[in-house]
Amino acid sequence: MTLAAEPQACGAQPGHCITCGDEGVAMRVIEAGDLGALCQDETGERHEVAIDLVTPVRAGDELLVHAGVAIGRLGGDR
Amino acid sequence: MRFVDEYRDAELGQALATQILGEVEPGRHYKVMEVCGGHTHSIYKYGIDDLLPPDVELVHGPGCPVCVIPMGRVDDGIAVALNDGVIFTCFGDMLRVPGSEFTLLDAKARGADVRMVYSPLDALRIARENPDREVVFFAIGFETTAPSTALTLKRAKAEGMRNFTCICNHVTIVPPLRALLESPDLRLDGFIGPGHVCTVVGARPFEFIPADYGRPIVISGFEPLDILQSVLMILRQLRSGRSEVENQYTRVVPQEGNVRALEVMAEVFELRPHFEWRGLGFISQSALRLSDAYREFDAEVRFEMPGVRVADPKACQCGEVLKGVIKPWECKVFGTACTPEHAIGTCMVSPEGACAAYYNFGRYAREREAV
Repeated sequence: MTLAAEPQACGAQPGHCITCGDEGVAMRVIEAGDLGALCQDETGERHEVAIDLVTPVRAGDELLVHAGVAIGRLGGDR
Repeated sequence: MRFVDEYRDAELGQALATQILGEVEPGRHYKVMEVCGGHTHSIYKYGIDDLLPPDVELVHGPGCPVCVIPMGRVDDGIAVALNDGVIFTCFGDMLRVPGSEFTLLDAKARGADVRMVYSPLDALRIARENPDREVVFFAIGFETTAPSTALTLKRAKAEGMRNFTCICNHVTIVPPLRALLESPDLRLDGFIGPGHVCTVVGARPFEFIPADYGRPIVISGFEPLDILQSVLMILRQLRSGRSEVENQYTRVVPQEGNVRALEVMAEVFELRPHFEWRGLGFISQSALRLSDAYREFDAEVRFEMPGVRVADPKACQCGEVLKGVIKPWECKVFGTACTPEHAIGTCMVSPEGACAAYYNFGRYAREREAV
């Protein structure tokens, strides 16, 4: 399945800009596609994430996501 | 969720604070700078400063990408946003950053189509959905964010997009750190390093700090236990006379960074000869612009912009706060003329700014309770 590659709103907390704050959001991959992955954050909210910079990706992987793009993996590189 | 909950354990936090106390040498006062605005936010959200001994002072650095945008660049963005037909996109905090006359939010109230996005890829989607409109993305951020802009521009090029451009204000973290270390105003003992910048660039770019200046730097995660452990690691280095780059955030940060992200950035961007940082003046090779291969997506080429350097308001002491020379409550207008609702300076506008962190988490005065 090819997931849409465009990330959706990342659920920024009120008064706190995750992108401006240089933070990364830990997310678990639910389903990995060709262009992106469906991921879930710690609150249970789901997001579509661009995975170009961390492929290959599979379900269960834990990624660090910033501005809708996975920039690293949690637990070290595979 | 793994990697989050166990890094917020209060008992472990207290245990780390006790270990930190044990490393403090009698009669010595330590100044440790946290570089990243995300660290500043965590420190005050979780009360980490209250857990530290009084002689361990946290100094806030210039790592807030909103805070360092000079007013003139905001004016440039507003000028583009006011063009008929333009859809202007930016991250949320940029909406309230004051230009010389008003903010992007004010421009929106005056009829400009200004839209908040959480990712530059959102801006690209808007461009796809509105082929008859010019869509501009106002890019800010350090090396953590630059890869997302680079990836977006790569996709725009691959798709042959003609109505999407970017105003690039990406900055790099090493030059301002070097400027701070060269500054006579500041005497720092060590650094809490930017964990997510390092996820992209790795640890090597920071080796100059121990090598050239003899100061330790510990690359830190953003949870409270990460930050406390990093402070402990810094104090242990100081106590044993070491200075090196250590990685506390090994669960995320690879030593060499994200090679693919670096390749994408190298393809899409080039270094500007110099760039103005609010409060720090012009710093050489400290910011990015689009490379020749991506010039067609450069809004600075496609649109007219004032390009005027605007001095900060006289009352504003953001520069001194960004350099760590004064604490927010030492600014003459902190909490009075300058509040999050009516901000004079960017350190108060951005929740990651030191002033906003202090204000929002109740740090109005010097006193800290001993814990």
